[in-house]
Amino acid sequence: MLTIKILGPGCANCKRLEEIARKAASDMNVTAEFAKVTDYNDILAYDVVSTPGLVINEKLVSSGRIPSPASVSAWIADAMKAP
Amino acid sequence: MDIAAFLVNAIRGGLGNLAAYLAAHVLLCLLPAFYIAGAMTALIPKESVTRFLGRNTRQAVSYPAAALAGGLLAVCSCTIVPLFAGIYKKGAGIGPAITFLFFAPAANVLALVYTGSVIGVDLALARFFLSLAFGIGIGLIMALLFRSEDAAHDAATSQMFAAQSVKGISRSALIFLLSWIALLLFGTLKLDFLTDSYLNTNLPLPGAQEFQALLDRLVPFDAGKGEEGISLQGVILILLLAAIGLASWRGFERIHEGFSAWTRAAIALIGWTLLVAALNMQSTPTGLRVGFTGKFFGVLLALAVLFQLGRAYLSDDALRDWLWESWRFVKQIFPLLVVGVFLVGVIRVLIRPEWIESLAGSNTPLGNLTGVAFGVFMYFPTLVEVPIAQMFLRLGMHRGPLLAYLMADPELSLQSILILSAVIGKLKTWTYVGWVALFSTVAGLIYGAWVDGMSLGVVVLYLALFLTLLGLALWLVNPRNNQLDAKQGQTF
Repeated sequence: MLTIKILGPGCANCKRLEEIARKAASDMNVTAEFAKVTDYNDILAYDVVSTPGLVINEKLVSSGRIPSPASVSAWIADAMKAP
Repeated sequence: MDIAAFLVNAIRGGLGNLAAYLAAHVLLCLLPAFYIAGAMTALIPKESVTRFLGRNTRQAVSYPAAALAGGLLAVCSCTIVPLFAGIYKKGAGIGPAITFLFFAPAANVLALVYTGSVIGVDLALARFFLSLAFGIGIGLIMALLFRSEDAAHDAATSQMFAAQSVKGISRSALIFLLSWIALLLFGTLKLDFLTDSYLNTNLPLPGAQEFQALLDRLVPFDAGKGEEGISLQGVILILLLAAIGLASWRGFERIHEGFSAWTRAAIALIGWTLLVAALNMQSTPTGLRVGFTGKFFGVLLALAVLFQLGRAYLSDDALRDWLWESWRFVKQIFPLLVVGVFLVGVIRVLIRPEWIESLAGSNTPLGNLTGVAFGVFMYFPTLVEVPIAQMFLRLGMHRGPLLAYLMADPELSLQSILILSAVIGKLKTWTYVGWVALFSTVAGLIYGAWVDGMSLGVVVLYLALFLTLLGLALWLVNPRNNQLDAKQGQTF
């Protein structure tokens, strides 16, 4: 079970990132809980300079850009392997 | 004049203005500017600039760095506000954060390029330098006014910025960016060696002149009223633009799933259209006379370099990020610009030049205040202030009040004031608003004086005097500086 958080105030890029992350998770048959973090104070707690940010199991994997579906899949796979 | 004829006249004015804009300004200026803005957002790591904004950085570095961050990294308010909140909350303090906030909307790459090509390079330069000086000035004043709160805020924040990993821009990305800037300069600079034709061919195209005559009848052409008219080449370019729009929509919207045939088609179309826009076409009785200008060869060279870089040196990830960010800017800004330009064309029919002339026709404090007041009370979306300013200029506004308007409008709008007070509180926000209004008026007055013939030395002297006083006051009031500098001495 993964927890995937999308950091961002709700801009177009955040929505696109969420789309990609949801698709990657469902393609891999991974059950994940998605959460949107929209409050600036909460976003900044993750050490990001710019949004959108992607957090998998409380680890920041990407910020400031929309990663490709392939790399999101790779991060999800990493998170699944980690104990 | 009856109502129907009046409406038809107004709408014709709007459409004519729009057509002239799309043909004359969009291609060689806005299109490259969007791609440059996209490249800056996607290819320059934000940390490479923001790491200079930390608390341990000297003011002489952190304030210019804040302005640089504004000019390079932020183009529209959706990027500006998150970056501003980030800079402020992560320890930069209110000074550099305000400098960033002031500089970003007024003097970012898109705004400057657009101002330069539509209104004039002199006004773009004035906008840049005065925004820089006053942005830093307002930042220093805010830091001075709210220094006790700032110190408390300071203690609460981490040393986040200094700890950021140093990640510079890659060399191929830098050359890529510079090639786009070269393309922009080739395309927009009005220098003889660029506009002269070196090679001419005649295309047999009977009816070209009749078509041009028809265009002149359809689109009102009156330089005195600021109307530009449209040429045969303009029609071709508008059609190509529509094709680019369609291909981009299909090719760039889903770019995260990979490059499709539409993506390649859009890129090819953009290249060809830029080349066509750089040609010099004149309709003659027998057909169309096509001149290959210096501009054309410059654009061709830049495109060749860009193509090679994109194919061989930039990673797919970088290319995708770049195309996506550019497309996002286009989607966000271009529709607003189209509507804005149309409305400007409509309004132009309604406003009498004498009104503008009497309000802001000369460089007086009242005229400059009028410019600022108009900027504060009217809200125009990103970049639409530029065609509006051009309309005012054509209607007889003095360049001084015009600059005052151009400085105030993007800074102060109801929207930005609301967001700002959510981040830094009401008192700080209204203080900021007051200073921006004052500084914009002063900027207009100084620039207007220069336009009216005051020597450059005196203008620079005024500016330097103003900044020295400000810096001195800050130095005297803030004893913490001395300790900080002693510490900095070892690291620098």
